[in-house]
Amino acid sequence: MRYFLLISFLLFGIQAQATDAKKLIAAVNKKMKAINDYQATVGMKFDLPGIKINEMKGKVYFKRPDKFRIRAKGIFFLPKDNPLRNVTSLLEDTKSYTAVISGYETIGGKRCAVVNIIPLNTELELIVGKFWISLNDPLIYKTEITTKKNGTIRSRNIFAKNSKNPLPIKVILQIEMKAFKVPKLLAADIKKKSTKGTSNEKKTGEIYLTFSDYKLNRKIPNSVFTAK
Amino acid sequence: MKEFWAILKNELIKTVKRPRSFIGFGVVIFICFVLQAALYNDGKEMLSLITNQIENSISINGTVLNGNLICYILLQTLIIQMPLLVALVTGDLISGETSSGTIRFLLSRPAGRTKIVLAKWIAGLFYTLLLLILLGVIALYGSRLIFGDGDMLCVNSTGATIIRNADVNWRFMYSFFIAFLSLSVVATLALFLSTIMDNSITPIVSTMAIIIIFTIMGMFDLPSLDVIRPFLFTSHMISWKDMFENPVPVQDIINSCIILFAHIVILLGASIYIFERKDITN
Repeated sequence: MRYFLLISFLLFGIQAQATDAKKLIAAVNKKMKAINDYQATVGMKFDLPGIKINEMKGKVYFKRPDKFRIRAKGIFFLPKDNPLRNVTSLLEDTKSYTAVISGYETIGGKRCAVVNIIPLNTELELIVGKFWISLNDPLIYKTEITTKKNGTIRSRNIFAKNSKNPLPIKVILQIEMKAFKVPKLLAADIKKKSTKGTSNEKKTGEIYLTFSDYKLNRKIPNSVFTAK
Repeated sequence: MKEFWAILKNELIKTVKRPRSFIGFGVVIFICFVLQAALYNDGKEMLSLITNQIENSISINGTVLNGNLICYILLQTLIIQMPLLVALVTGDLISGETSSGTIRFLLSRPAGRTKIVLAKWIAGLFYTLLLLILLGVIALYGSRLIFGDGDMLCVNSTGATIIRNADVNWRFMYSFFIAFLSLSVVATLALFLSTIMDNSITPIVSTMAIIIIFTIMGMFDLPSLDVIRPFLFTSHMISWKDMFENPVPVQDIINSCIILFAHIVILLGASIYIFERKDITN
């Protein structure tokens, strides 16, 4: 009888947490559904191992469900699995995953539930997704997405105070990557001494995106995402 | 002074009109066009060999394979051939005249031996400059015409630097100046060997042998070579690449330029000293 009660209590707890997680995700999805597309000015700053690159500006375009593009003059880097593109479509496909709350944390002064998303289909690229969703307003303050091919990508979202739209003003993307390194002989770099360490060492790279001048629901044509 | 200008004019005409000078120009044009055509077809695959180590986790956006990068690759590739082309012409400026016997006619002119060496040296530098200008025009402007321009991905042994398109021109200008200084060392070394040797080919081969030996000594990180490595001119010949770092290591570049300039002064001084005392026996 004691075991029955314990198991029932545990199952009830998990069920309750799953319901809470689904409620939170539903609230996020509801808020995001109000935005069909957006464009904004984006400032990009990079801190990538082995790569020196100056800040630059560009224009960012997004269209539901997962069209995302940054247009800028010149070379810039983005994560292969870009959470800014993927998260909306991932969360909205509620039948493809199971969600549970694994704990609570305070992110940027906001009390957040840590919602874990585990895909039901094991053949999918996604292994696990963690979302820090605020309990007061349905906004995602932090994400951690682990995929089979590209490792873990973390993002930290910062929102404007009292902003009506659910889009961040600053996003910090953290990527696990190998340091960019070319052998001395291949780089014809006879002046420099070889440095210790290999390119296979995993390091963390960061990309800082600052958004401003958001324009929502302007019916962005698809050609914006495909044109050269 | 009038006599010096007359000799200089004569040397310049002789240098530019020699068939081997045209071999140098032809090689530069040929290599540039062959590499540009090859990179036009296979450049993306070649580039992916370098970038694939980071492309697992991040995507590179923008046109990486552009004229600026092609010019950088061409300069890096030609760093091996350019000294040979320079030595080919400057290596027999004096020894060629000695072996053919025309040196006696040259020395019969009222200008002193120092002026003759200086005139030949300037003619050698003029050829080097023409070669570099040709390379610059074809490699930079030719590549931009074919591939377009854009931000430049510069790769070195410590990583990669992205140089913004607006920042590229002045960096190339300074890098061509440093390359000219580097090749001037080769020209002066060849001239120096040309004053010692009486054979036309030996100074050219010797110049290349010295460059190859010094380059190999500089390439390997052997602690026993640490003392001499900073003084090998070949270690500073690739200082033009420093112009494509961010921030530009100004002090390193100045140091390299001083060492290269010191080589020129010493080798030219030695050439004059030896030629002043040289017995013309043939």
